[in-house]
Amino acid sequence: MKKVFSIIVACAFFAVPALAQKGELSGTLDVKARVGYSIGGTAPLGMPATIRSIDSFRLTPSLTAGVDATLSLGQGWGVLAGLYVENKGMKAEVTTKGYRMEVVKGDSRLSGLFTGHVQQDVTQWMLTIPVKATYAVSRTVSLKAGPYLSVLLSKNFSGIASDGYLRQGDPTGPRINMGNVEGEWATYDFSDDMRRLQLGIAAGVDWQVYRNFGLSADLNWGLTGIFPGSFKTVEQTLYPIYGTLGIFYRFF
Amino acid sequence: MMKKFFTGICAIALLGSCIKSEPLNQECDIVSAYLEGEQYAALFYQPSQMRQDNIPSAGKDIVFSVKSMSLLPDRLPVFFTVTEGATINPPSGSEQNFKGGPVIYVVKSEDGAWERQYTVGFKESSLPTTLFGFEHVETVEGMNNNQYHAFYELDESGKRDDIWASGNPGAILIKTNSKATEQPTYSMENGYMGKGVCLNTQDAGALGHAFKKPIAAGNLFIGKFLMEKILVNPLKATQFGTPIAQVPTRVTGYYKYRPGDTYTNANMEPVPGRVDEASIYAVFYRNKDEKGQDVFLYGDDVLSSPYVVRKAQMAKVPPTNDWTPFEMFFEGGDADPEVLAEQGYNMTVVFSSSKDGATFEGAIGSRLCIDEVKVYFENMKKQ
Repeated sequence: MKKVFSIIVACAFFAVPALAQKGELSGTLDVKARVGYSIGGTAPLGMPATIRSIDSFRLTPSLTAGVDATLSLGQGWGVLAGLYVENKGMKAEVTTKGYRMEVVKGDSRLSGLFTGHVQQDVTQWMLTIPVKATYAVSRTVSLKAGPYLSVLLSKNFSGIASDGYLRQGDPTGPRINMGNVEGEWATYDFSDDMRRLQLGIAAGVDWQVYRNFGLSADLNWGLTGIFPGSFKTVEQTLYPIYGTLGIFYRFF
Repeated sequence: MMKKFFTGICAIALLGSCIKSEPLNQECDIVSAYLEGEQYAALFYQPSQMRQDNIPSAGKDIVFSVKSMSLLPDRLPVFFTVTEGATINPPSGSEQNFKGGPVIYVVKSEDGAWERQYTVGFKESSLPTTLFGFEHVETVEGMNNNQYHAFYELDESGKRDDIWASGNPGAILIKTNSKATEQPTYSMENGYMGKGVCLNTQDAGALGHAFKKPIAAGNLFIGKFLMEKILVNPLKATQFGTPIAQVPTRVTGYYKYRPGDTYTNANMEPVPGRVDEASIYAVFYRNKDEKGQDVFLYGDDVLSSPYVVRKAQMAKVPPTNDWTPFEMFFEGGDADPEVLAEQGYNMTVVFSSSKDGATFEGAIGSRLCIDEVKVYFENMKKQ
């Protein structure tokens, strides 16, 4: 897998001179159907000091499937638009020290600073509309970059705080010990507070390997946090940042 | 190889997200308070009373119990251990005057941003009174705009003694904007004489259900409520008893009781046919083990522990709408006079609106009112 990735990157760079001499792919419309597997995380840019260690980072199956069309504009340049169904998820386990958290259920609420173990689950199903500039570096390899807009169809941001203690309110508040079985730990769920629309930028490469089949690699970088700015419970702004490896089929 | 690649991507995702250096501690608690030295041991009934470890996180008053206030020297050094990195002022071990009343200590956190104020004082180790009328009530302001009532007594010299505890601090943990009279244990204006105390079993709210603690029974007891334990080990949150140098014989008082409509088990499932019951009991127990270590009894063993010497228990608390007298006699063994002279026994009196409220079984709406509780002792002067 790593090899494939290296090859793609290598091709992208070494093919540039070759392209300079060609560059005559204009006026055509490429339609590609793709499926891919995404990996990454929903994380703050800059880890807060209250997170002391990342104990595990499990990748939940994150799939993407969709169709896009690229219109060639000449000189190797083109413009791409499409529609993808995507799933971005992760499970992370961290150890915290004085990490701000809040548990809300109905009319009851418990908030404060948590020192202990936090298990975080994030799952987001979304429809994504990418708009990208493309540049064909050769007949088989093209680079693409541009913004995307995602509409979330389902969202989950929940977790468990266990094996530690909460200081209610602030560090001088009552201390509540938390254990490692249900009833002794605190579960939280901020799914409803998540943003419905996400905006980001993506960059990647398509490499047509065999006949109409090809491989692709993309990096999707969320520019908007997964929560609106008015949501203060989760201290840091969390950005979805995912890499996708995929295969595509080119129809035309 | 696959894993390495994934790690690589994760590294990109968490760009600039390396673990930062550990933040300085924000907490500023007194963890333990103690006196040292032979010359001070004589002030106490037992050497173990010179030390207070595991001071509750919600506590702000530390009180040492001595034989007599008149024996207290003018100046006395009290030592403290505080949260790692925190500082205490006046310093630990500095000599202070406790004769004029409690001394205020301020603990500042390692990061310098937080501080807590404690009072440290001394009192004579005896019951402040033998007749508990529940006339003295403090309305405590909790977080999230919650209030609750705390009950205390005054001793002969008019000094406050926080002898009574309840689960109220735990009940408000997950509430917002609630009044003192909305808590499981609250002061009622119309007691049998003057004010009384009312205990009621409540729904613990959506979070209470999530924590598998669906109901909160009203309780009131002589002892301490240890907030730390309410999620992990709630039966250990009720620490029963206070040291005593007398042998109790009986307890009297007045009550009203009405059970709630639907008895539910710990999973909040109705138990058809079962009617909730209140509990009223008192326990006299040995407060030292064979090795001289402190013994406390809690919600899970207060009636069954081998350290129990004698107990008084209402077999039934029949429902009644009017103030009704109750009387219960201590039954069991005798106290060892030598152990008694060293305050080697604790006594507690316990009330609850649901007998099995400690294990979250009972009927929401059960209501027990209590007033004018009197404890009688052996060789007690006629009053």
